[in-house]
Amino acid sequence: MTATETRVVGKRLPKLDAPDKVSGRIQYADDLDIPGMLTGAILRSPHAHARIVSIDVSKAEALPGVKAVIHAGNVQQRPFGYGHDNLPLKDRKVRCVGDEVAAVAAIDEATAKRALGLIDVVYEVLPAVVDPLEALEDGAPLIHDERLDIDGNVSMRWDFETGDVDKAAEEAAVIVEGTYSSPLAAPGAIETHVVIASFDRSGHLTVWSPVHMVFMYRKELADTLGLDWGNITIKQPPVGGSFGGKIDIDTHDFICVLLAEAAQRPVKLAMSREEEFIGTRTRQPIHFKLRTGADADGNILFRDTHVISDNGAYNAWGSHAMLVAMNTVTSLYRVPNSRMRCAVVYTNKSYGGSVRGFGNPQSTFAVEQQLEEIADALGRDPMELRIQNANQAGDVTPQGLKITTCGLTQCLESVKEASGWNERRGKMKDRYRGLGAAAFIHVGGGARIYGSDGCGAMIKMDDSGQISLISGSSELGQGSETALAMIVAEEVGVPMSKVRVIHSDTDVKPWDVGVHASRTTFVAGNAARLAAGRARDKLLAAAAEVLGKDDLVIEDGVISSRSEPERAMPYDKAIRRLLLREEGNVIMSTAFYDPPTENQDKGYIGNISATYGFGAHVAEVEVDPGTGQVKLLNLWTAHDVGRAINPSAVEGQIEGGAVMGIGLALTEELPVRVEVGELMAPNLHDYGLPTMVDAPRIHVDLIETNDPLGPFGAKGIGEGGLIPVPAAVANAVADAVGIRPRQFPLRPWKVLDWIQTGETSNVVKGAGRG
Amino acid sequence: MRIELMVNGDPVSRLVEGSESLLDLLRNDLGLVGTKWGCLTGDCGACTVLVNSEPVVSCLKACAQLDGSTVTTIEGLTPTHGLSDLQQAFVDHFATQCGFCTPGMIMAAEALVNSGVPADEAAIREGLSGNLCRCTGYNKIVDAVMSVIEQRNA
Amino acid sequence: MVEVLIPGTLAEALGMLADREGAVPLAGGTDVLLDMRTGRSDPTVLVDMSRLDGLRGVGIDGDLVTIGAMTSIRTIERDAELAARSTAVPEAAHVLGSVQIRVMATLGGNLCHATPSAEMPPPLLVHGAEVDIAGPDGGRTVPLADLFAGPGATTLDPGELVAAVRYPAPSNLGSCYLRQTVRWSMDLAGVGVAASVAVDGDRITTATVALGAVAPTPFVVGGVADLMADDPWDPERAGEAGRMAAAASSPISDARGSADYRCSVVAALVPRALGIAYRRAIGGWPVGRFSPTNGLVEEPA
Repeated sequence: MTATETRVVGKRLPKLDAPDKVSGRIQYADDLDIPGMLTGAILRSPHAHARIVSIDVSKAEALPGVKAVIHAGNVQQRPFGYGHDNLPLKDRKVRCVGDEVAAVAAIDEATAKRALGLIDVVYEVLPAVVDPLEALEDGAPLIHDERLDIDGNVSMRWDFETGDVDKAAEEAAVIVEGTYSSPLAAPGAIETHVVIASFDRSGHLTVWSPVHMVFMYRKELADTLGLDWGNITIKQPPVGGSFGGKIDIDTHDFICVLLAEAAQRPVKLAMSREEEFIGTRTRQPIHFKLRTGADADGNILFRDTHVISDNGAYNAWGSHAMLVAMNTVTSLYRVPNSRMRCAVVYTNKSYGGSVRGFGNPQSTFAVEQQLEEIADALGRDPMELRIQNANQAGDVTPQGLKITTCGLTQCLESVKEASGWNERRGKMKDRYRGLGAAAFIHVGGGARIYGSDGCGAMIKMDDSGQISLISGSSELGQGSETALAMIVAEEVGVPMSKVRVIHSDTDVKPWDVGVHASRTTFVAGNAARLAAGRARDKLLAAAAEVLGKDDLVIEDGVISSRSEPERAMPYDKAIRRLLLREEGNVIMSTAFYDPPTENQDKGYIGNISATYGFGAHVAEVEVDPGTGQVKLLNLWTAHDVGRAINPSAVEGQIEGGAVMGIGLALTEELPVRVEVGELMAPNLHDYGLPTMVDAPRIHVDLIETNDPLGPFGAKGIGEGGLIPVPAAVANAVADAVGIRPRQFPLRPWKVLDWIQTGETSNVVKGAGRG
Repeated sequence: MRIELMVNGDPVSRLVEGSESLLDLLRNDLGLVGTKWGCLTGDCGACTVLVNSEPVVSCLKACAQLDGSTVTTIEGLTPTHGLSDLQQAFVDHFATQCGFCTPGMIMAAEALVNSGVPADEAAIREGLSGNLCRCTGYNKIVDAVMSVIEQRNA
Repeated sequence: MVEVLIPGTLAEALGMLADREGAVPLAGGTDVLLDMRTGRSDPTVLVDMSRLDGLRGVGIDGDLVTIGAMTSIRTIERDAELAARSTAVPEAAHVLGSVQIRVMATLGGNLCHATPSAEMPPPLLVHGAEVDIAGPDGGRTVPLADLFAGPGATTLDPGELVAAVRYPAPSNLGSCYLRQTVRWSMDLAGVGVAASVAVDGDRITTATVALGAVAPTPFVVGGVADLMADDPWDPERAGEAGRMAAAASSPISDARGSADYRCSVVAALVPRALGIAYRRAIGGWPVGRFSPTNGLVEEPA
């Protein structure tokens, strides 16, 4: 595909909200103040697993300044979550440290905290199980003993099989095997979760929450608390970072609404940093036992994996990360035979939500290390092996993913060239330096997981010439607002300065699934483009009456005739001419774009996304053989972005994702004290978000494949920057010091231990062929 | 105890007690909510402001020590019209995404540039490593700061 | 309510600390405010030391360096003379926290908080630092090692303050501070290693190693001078010094590494720190340039 010629799309434009952000004027949720607003606080369980024997709130209620004290015994609530296994305020049992037991609303923070200390909860501590393998054993403590629909602590299974894996294993010349593990990690936004709820005197509820699957949030709020969902408005203040952490509803959102209802006053509930780690959703640990086999020529024949997803105490979004992990196992490179057996297991600890990459970094960590292990066993260059096996446009993978455009080979060639791969890989061991690569596949055109994967858009042109796009989507800081404005400006034919984007109030904006799965530019962008095109057509029709021509075009806000260019008028004049007359009209349009995709069937086969993003990274590391510290020296990335609507924004997504991946690869982890199931260090210091020094300059190459379905050719790119990083770093460490890292993060003591114990590849068949 | 200080050029006189931080004073009392908080433990840098031209994390700065001090926040750094050169560079280089770390980042960068740091990427990264950004991956922040160092030195 | 007293002189400060039970000195506040917020301490009275200008500043008189207790870590980090004469001291200051923390934090605060992993004690220990202690009954001077009683505990009597730190920095002495961390910045030392080496020509006359984060208090490793002295640089003996240091360590296992791991790191970092200190002593290192934090540079010839 060749790119459409454009005037706005493709330009490096600043973010529309940047001036207000750099001047500190933009107001996040915690910056909002509503007259009469109370401060909420939550009493959390100190136990990983315990029966709640009794709760006595009388002393807290008696404290002056306390306006509401709530617990399971005095509120109306229904279970929520997948399998309806969670309650906002726990009634019978607590299942992880941090579980919400009671909450207060008071006139200030000090009073609220004092009131929490006055609540007496009697617990009967139960045996806890923190390790998922122990949770699978016979006789393990049952975490959800009330669930009769599941087998022990296994809450879900995701099983997939295509081709004949066993036969492929017989035919394979080389097979490698290993178990690859990932840690409990956090989204790590700098803004913690903050929510404000207020009922007006007619009973209408308004919630201010920086959430980004806002319509689902509203529905879940209503379903769980028994409210009328038509009587709820959600307003979305600017999001101070999400990375999936603020995707949908969290327990504290319900609690804030319950407090506001009980107190009949506005209530703000702001998570402290410690609560952010303990009480909000995480990236759950996943363990992949994987085998990969290839023939003597290096063609991948099969992948076979058993996966245990250590999902924690309840099933939030994290339980569904297997959906994405599976795409990589079945469809990264051409893999004719694959099998995946996944158990999602309850354990007594923090539970998995949706964090950028959503199962894919973990899956890619296993798959892409084995690609290099296979290459090593065959004596082949791993980059060449990747290029040989790369997906190509026109492929339909065994899982039914239809690859329409694919820049994977170009991406691999790009990072190979940029990193000096051929000259440098395997040749820097004397300085403990190495290069490692990894590629990825990820949804790039929505991800159909719901009845609709659509997004609504409305365009309104007013008498001043201002064009408002009212989009169902949400701005998280990623720049979607700016990208959507660019799409509208391009499609209508006006300067960017004429376009405003409204996207943060459910009373105003049309429905959208929400921001997830790298879908906003693609889905909301297509919706915006459709609506803009319809509004432009109305505008041109209005101008046609005035100019007496019907071959009109609009460029830079001027409507003119193609055949008689001197017949022209400014577009805003056409709007007014239509409006200010008898039987006049305004120019408005609507569109709803739902990508042409399909829900997966029971065997997990189906084309869930309208297009797929691809990319490749090469990491260069230096390993300290004495301390095990890994220094990332360089990261080269190349991404098939379809078309960059705004290259600065696209780079920003890739660079930011890459550094998030660096944290995942090297530093970020929430260690759990196994005996008691509590986090050892729920603070920003020990967690290890990468600093500017931990991140090298990220080199980005944007590969444009011009997707036929994408708006102006664009694909979604929100997550790809992160996905291959842990795998690429692990492969680079393998190159530098000859070990095979099977867990991330590669914290120094693990690396040193692997060096000392000689942790290497496990070639179970065909060893020594190379 | 009573403290008298200048905040963004305006005189402020307040009774404070020992546990009150500069962040409390700015956000809860003076309504200067441009200064953000991310941890309250000095680990993220989002609450960075200048005290007597030096960058501090306001969450750990005791108000009681501020008598006679001059405090500048992001609101004070912003000119009446338009933006400062550093703010404009952040806009132009796409160095802000969610924007939550941005006020603290800009205050720290302003101090760094004023400290005479060379136009050297490693020195910039080192000097701003106390300010965490989860969105940008830092490239574009470094570029923005670098451009201002070069402009001001030119 | 936490009351704050603001003395204008050291004598006033000592009087306030003596008169008010439970009074805590407030220096830069980075530890005191954090401890109050997290509930680790609950003082009723703070005595603000920030007006005591006499306790602030770096003085060099001949070979003797004096640093006032209220000198900020940032000042130490940026002092070119200190970087030239006692490199390990600003080298440690340079990696402590962030610029913001270093602007606020003081040397006295860092020493008196007595965190086992604190950055400043090991480099000062290898320079043979002494601390001047002011108290209600007058002053006393003790070797720095004697200041530390255990994690978070000092040997200061109630009402006493650290006023200054003094150490010799002869021109034939080189020093170095290295550490192991998880992140490359904004981190606490998992292991902190300082070394100093004095030379006569290329011959080592004495060598000292001090460790942080691997025992309840920072400490000087015994026997290193005997091992290294009277000969030119010998990597074998530097390695042996590392093993001695590891054997002298008694670290805990926690979320930031096991005891065994920390001992391995000590064994790895000590020879590197000695090597860099030696190079600095013989003039084989650019004056004032800090080492990579893990000291991974080529061995001295």
